[in-house]
Amino acid sequence: MSLARAAWRAFVITIRMRVISQWSYLTWLVFPLLFTAVGLYVLDSRGASSSHLVYGVLGGGLIGYWSVAYIDAGNGIQDERWNGTLEQIFATPTPLWVILLGKVCAGLFFGLLSFLPTAAFAYFGFHAVLPALDPWRFVISLAVLTLTFFCIAITLAPLFALWRWVFAMINGFELGVYILCGFMFPIAVLAPWAQGIAALLAPTWAVKALYASTVAEGPHDFALWWIAAVGLSLAYLVGAYFLYALVEREARVSGELALA
Amino acid sequence: MAAIEARQLRKTYKTTRGVFRREKVEQLALRGVDLGIEPGELFGLLGPNGAGKTTMTKIFTTLLLPTSGTATVLGLDVVRDQWRLRRRIGFVFGGERGLYWRLSGLDNLRYFADLYRIPPEVTRKRIPELLERLGLAGRERDRVELYSRGMKQRLHLARGLLNDPEVLFLDEPTIGLDPVGARELRVIVRELADAGKTIFLTTHYMFEADAICDRIAVIKGGEIVAEGTPSSIKKVVQDQGVVEFEVVGMPADRLAGLRALTGVKSVAVADHELAQVVTIHCSRPADVMTQLGLVLDGMSLQKVSSREPTLEDAYVQLIGESS
Repeated sequence: MSLARAAWRAFVITIRMRVISQWSYLTWLVFPLLFTAVGLYVLDSRGASSSHLVYGVLGGGLIGYWSVAYIDAGNGIQDERWNGTLEQIFATPTPLWVILLGKVCAGLFFGLLSFLPTAAFAYFGFHAVLPALDPWRFVISLAVLTLTFFCIAITLAPLFALWRWVFAMINGFELGVYILCGFMFPIAVLAPWAQGIAALLAPTWAVKALYASTVAEGPHDFALWWIAAVGLSLAYLVGAYFLYALVEREARVSGELALA
Repeated sequence: MAAIEARQLRKTYKTTRGVFRREKVEQLALRGVDLGIEPGELFGLLGPNGAGKTTMTKIFTTLLLPTSGTATVLGLDVVRDQWRLRRRIGFVFGGERGLYWRLSGLDNLRYFADLYRIPPEVTRKRIPELLERLGLAGRERDRVELYSRGMKQRLHLARGLLNDPEVLFLDEPTIGLDPVGARELRVIVRELADAGKTIFLTTHYMFEADAICDRIAVIKGGEIVAEGTPSSIKKVVQDQGVVEFEVVGMPADRLAGLRALTGVKSVAVADHELAQVVTIHCSRPADVMTQLGLVLDGMSLQKVSSREPTLEDAYVQLIGESS
């Protein structure tokens, strides 16, 4: 019970910090709107079919969602290090994964908000709509996507705590996932080797299902896509289990939690 | 049973040197420290920067693992029993960092109360008590960034006391505080010790250790070079006196001349505005004062005085002797 309360408090504190931070409005509001505008402009000017326009409608929101969920995990840890609070939270009787659980969930909550302004912008700015929305499959796919983002963020977050150099790679991985998982365009346009890497990333399958739930053209295999996304996510969690044990120990050996 | 105990405690940091051809380097921070602190004691650890004070504090607070040796707090092993131990200890690191500046003091305390897994009914009672006791009542809803340095440090202390710890670790808690703020904090720390808490305090300030600590140890280069009560540490320099004076410019040959005088143990020079303050530790201060005119012939000496040695003098001698 006390662990649940600790996770909840970490969630609440992270939300408060985000509301106060002006930078956060860039990541969940301004950047997704820019991506949506550019995507829809490009697709609209080329007279893309409605099945491709959905990439413009949802793509910006997806990028915002991923950015906030993932960047929050990395930036959040780095901020804690700069504030000198990383050691303070690490030395409490609450395991690090519980604290990060609350922080990652807060990131996901804010990330989901990205869809609201981008969808409104697509509708009012470009009169773009989701042509054949299947609400139930859309909601389930979004839930599965949320699980995949959660699992990646919670798995990677301890690495940011342990190794400062991992933070240097944060933007590269963020951008890689945009492209490989098909946030703004179908991954069929990627090279075969890139599609092979994409298949190992859980969000690829969830994004595929999400887009499929908005268009009529098939073939659709939702069950397979959902199972692939959930299965890969659970595999990440197994890795995370060992990773947290490693981080708990290695951080105490190296003293890397402190800034200096 | 000792409240805090270390046996042959060693800590080595592994790091790298160089840019292109990286070389692995081992840095020895603690070299086999033995230490025992009794329950209810206010123990001070003194030492220069890089001596190993913070490393030792971090090992006792479970933030670092020792490379070898053992460390126990309240009978719990800091390596194996960290989860049980963290509930029973508190710690405060000096400086302004370590707080969420953009949140209120109250938010900071509530967050850490939950991370320390304190029941809500206890938190509701304890936080107002701590705010009152540490002089933060009425300002708890202000953002921490609006707090003075002293208020931030008191908030740090409130955070460290949230779980009503049996042992409290304070790593240079008065660093950067103004004299009034530092004195207030020292009074609070002494009161906590009088209330029965075991306190492990690291500090640079000798007068602080002299004023409030029951027992102190001096650490240099990862080794304890002296341990005892403040008065017993002062005995290191009991047969000595101190001669001090101010002078503008101190040539090296004159300094060497001072060091060569009979009975002189050490000579230290510190800048003070445009002048230099020269401090001579010696066995016969009166003799040294009469010889000053010979060695420093032609130089204008100001504020020449002789005094009894302090804990700081003992510290300077200990640190100097061990180097």
